[in-house]
Amino acid sequence: MAALAAAAAAAQQPVPSKAGPTLIKNATVLTVTKGKLENTDLLLQNGKIAAIGKNLSAPAGAQVIDASGKYVMPGIIDPHSHTMIDAVNEGSLSVTSMVRIRDVLNPTDINIYRQLAGGVTTINVLHGSANTIGGQNAVVKLKYGRDVDEMLFPGAMPGIKFALGENVTQKNSQTAAQATGRPLRYPSTRMGQEEVLRDAFTRARDYKATWDDYNAKVKAGDKTSVAPERDLELEPLVEVLEGKRYVHAHSYRADEMLMLLNVAKEFGFTVKTLQHGLEGYKIASEIAQAGTGLSTFADEWSYKVEAYDAIPYNVAILMRHGVVATVNSDSDERARRLNIDAAKMIRYGGLTEDEALKTITYNGAVQLGVQDKVGSIEVGKDADVVIWNGDPLSVYSTAETTFIDGEIFFDIKRDQQMRQQAAQERAALEAQDRGRRAIVP
Amino acid sequence: MRNRRFVRTMPGTMLVLGTLAASPPLLGAQIGVQRERNAPSVYAITNARIVTMAGPAIERGTVVVRDGVITAVGASAAVPGDARVIDGAGLTVYPGLIDANSSVGLASAAAADNAARGAAGRGGRGGAPVQQGAAMSAPNSLHPVGLQPELAAIDFVHADPDAFSGPQSAGITTILATPSSGIFRGLSAVVNLGGANAQAMLVRAPVAEHIGFTPRRDGGYPNSLMGVFSVLRQTLLDAQHYAAENAAYAKNPRAMRRPEPDPSLDALQPVLSRQIPVVFDVSSQREIERALDLAREFNLRAMIAGGEEADKVAARLKAENVPVLATLNFPRRPQQSPDADPEPTRMLRARVEAPRLASKLQAAGVKFAFEDGGLTNWPEFLANAKSAVDAGLSSDQAVRALTLSAAEILGVADRLGSVEVGKVANLTVARGDLFSGRVTQVFVDGTPMDVRAPTNANGAALIANGTWQITVTLDEGEKPVTLTLQQVGDQLRGTIQGALGSNQIADGSVTAAGDVQFRTTITMNDGSEEARFAGTIEANVMRGTVRIVGHPQGTFVGTKPAGAPGSGRRGSPPPV
Repeated sequence: MAALAAAAAAAQQPVPSKAGPTLIKNATVLTVTKGKLENTDLLLQNGKIAAIGKNLSAPAGAQVIDASGKYVMPGIIDPHSHTMIDAVNEGSLSVTSMVRIRDVLNPTDINIYRQLAGGVTTINVLHGSANTIGGQNAVVKLKYGRDVDEMLFPGAMPGIKFALGENVTQKNSQTAAQATGRPLRYPSTRMGQEEVLRDAFTRARDYKATWDDYNAKVKAGDKTSVAPERDLELEPLVEVLEGKRYVHAHSYRADEMLMLLNVAKEFGFTVKTLQHGLEGYKIASEIAQAGTGLSTFADEWSYKVEAYDAIPYNVAILMRHGVVATVNSDSDERARRLNIDAAKMIRYGGLTEDEALKTITYNGAVQLGVQDKVGSIEVGKDADVVIWNGDPLSVYSTAETTFIDGEIFFDIKRDQQMRQQAAQERAALEAQDRGRRAIVP
Repeated sequence: MRNRRFVRTMPGTMLVLGTLAASPPLLGAQIGVQRERNAPSVYAITNARIVTMAGPAIERGTVVVRDGVITAVGASAAVPGDARVIDGAGLTVYPGLIDANSSVGLASAAAADNAARGAAGRGGRGGAPVQQGAAMSAPNSLHPVGLQPELAAIDFVHADPDAFSGPQSAGITTILATPSSGIFRGLSAVVNLGGANAQAMLVRAPVAEHIGFTPRRDGGYPNSLMGVFSVLRQTLLDAQHYAAENAAYAKNPRAMRRPEPDPSLDALQPVLSRQIPVVFDVSSQREIERALDLAREFNLRAMIAGGEEADKVAARLKAENVPVLATLNFPRRPQQSPDADPEPTRMLRARVEAPRLASKLQAAGVKFAFEDGGLTNWPEFLANAKSAVDAGLSSDQAVRALTLSAAEILGVADRLGSVEVGKVANLTVARGDLFSGRVTQVFVDGTPMDVRAPTNANGAALIANGTWQITVTLDEGEKPVTLTLQQVGDQLRGTIQGALGSNQIADGSVTAAGDVQFRTTITMNDGSEEARFAGTIEANVMRGTVRIVGHPQGTFVGTKPAGAPGSGRRGSPPPV
């Protein structure tokens, strides 16, 4: 197990930024944590935010961008994404903690680029909500065009998806399963979901004890015992028990959220986030007390029975109770419009502009354990910033340039050139194709 | 059945089998099929160009084979008095071509096996859930179908001359017979496409464990790509633990309960110890990278089969010494699908780039051979190899990939892959050059096989394939057109070009009896009309009627030039 963890750690070593220094001049800088700075320069160097201030001088070889009249904000963080994956759900079993989103990441997904064009730089790619305990997530920086290993966010906390409620009971697909004679999957009630959780963590405790015993014996000089079997299902749950893996739990109703918080308390871990949590406002104090965050939709409800009690004031109420709340896409492409979803939080619930921006930046960083690296514009943080042609909380504004670790991964002018290149490539391919017979005689 | 059990011996001794089967014709003789005993066993091909792959080509020489083995090769090799002599003037002799990953002869076997099992009520199959329509399962496996690494292809190979005639017509004498469904798919075998039974065909087994990233479709775990990787990992970990447990038990049986034997985990031991490689059946760059990542995680010897985007991973393949069994089933332009028009750039690119893969791998120093990629239209096998040559691979490199390189990668270069004294007498004979002429005969284990007209997987002859010069007689007069037809099974695709405009055909079909029909749009004096063609094909002549709304019934008749690939009815005399 130690070897595997070491390998995983090695894969997460940060890759030094290949970008030269960039000086962004005269921008309106939305720091998120330190307010709005007018006519301010921002120096990006060695992949970090090196300086923030007025009249900064450009180091040798720096590219200088005049951002007069433009806005700079931290890269948007989508805490619940299904972008760039070749599979969403392993729905065959009620506990699939052994499956990993990392294994099915597709670094060539065009939606990565589209989200960069919406100012998104970091996403939390989650397993679907088909089962009580789903798969392991992956936190990714959207470095489009790079290998998967370079896109994984170095130092982000590992996580796992849980799910409660209607998606897990599978009422609809169970009817279909019955019709085709396939066996039904346990559980088909919320009661059953609680039992699945208890059972899984009880097994994880036992598994941990078995390994602890074995390791103690080896330490005491035992050379004959055979090591216990590795169990990829239980290993991540042991990590949850040890506080080394975050739980992100799909949930809608207040009762099921309270159930999960109680089970977690009983087994001694903290649920890092409730995902969706549409009825979170009903139990805002309890969520705050548990130290749990919540990530939800801005204004979607009533698309199923358990979503009937949703209100657009959810985020604001939770934040007033001290809950770290975010807005997410739950999608493979909707993150392109998260800035508008954040703006809605001002309309519904009266958040300040900084608070609204937090729901798509800093608070997401907290939920993923990377708030010391991204989520706000502060000296020393990763140079994940976006230049907008206007206030990003306006529907009329467009992201123009998106930096990750100081490198440009989207630029609206470069995009025009790339469109031309694509058209040229297409024409060249068609010319080469014309001479070839489509049909082999 | 005794033979089968013999093959399925204990894992540690399975590799020995290759040598046991080194003289398949001898085995055949022992089994004692009357026809085989009476067949001549000495042949000499004289005056032929010989591409030996063991040195420069012999421009004019003789190859002698006796009892299934090559006994003489050279410009002045003596012709034995008892040899049947074939005048090779105008012919080129190559080592028998190797298709390095194929299910030929396995699919029909699986169907037969399923039928038999159905009749027997699936007794004694270990209780593993059997997928609907799934192919093969290993007896007494503790693991579900599709997750049985112990499944051995050689148990499912049938001597099936009908299935072999297509590949033989493409010059193929040998395949790596590969179970083609599931995740842990099982163990492959190098077999010759000729012989009285599977054991006579066998050259070497097991060759490799085959893995595909194919989720289960029966709802069971794993039903997603994510789950596939978890199962692969857990099973390999289980196999490691199984080895440790068994080692501990062997050392001191009284100290513990005996470990439960598991044939699946047994079969994975030579995989974990790198004795046999793992062939990953993967195409795209990211699939190849996932395969390489898994191989690295468990220190496996990897190979890539398919590998359409292997050029994008070429540096890593070279660095990690991973060979590619590159598909010759190139992508086609989609027809009658939402993707057909406009064709997405990625599909257009894939189609244009496909023939360039081999030369890119060659340039990058990646070892490669060719495989059929599941194609059923066998003329495409060499036609696509030729387009790889047109796209920059040298002809020599292409032949090498089809012969000696394949033999090296599959671990049979000591007996296959070149025309050398002492090697198995597998030969492919072409009139002219392999890529511009046509295959006229193959020798498998020293036995000549007459190459028949190519057939598809269903055994139907590809009688409609090719370019037809047709005269269509309508009320507007005689219209000469060119019909270019491609037959896949009983389906026809193609184009009509000439005096009636240029259009794709649709709803085309052809029966084994030669009844052919299709519809297409034609351009007439008063505009475009839909025309329905129905007729028959007899030898090289196609004739029939044309119906056009608002016009009297027309007729059509025409021929295709003799000798074009795919011409001639199945069973016509071999044109050596």
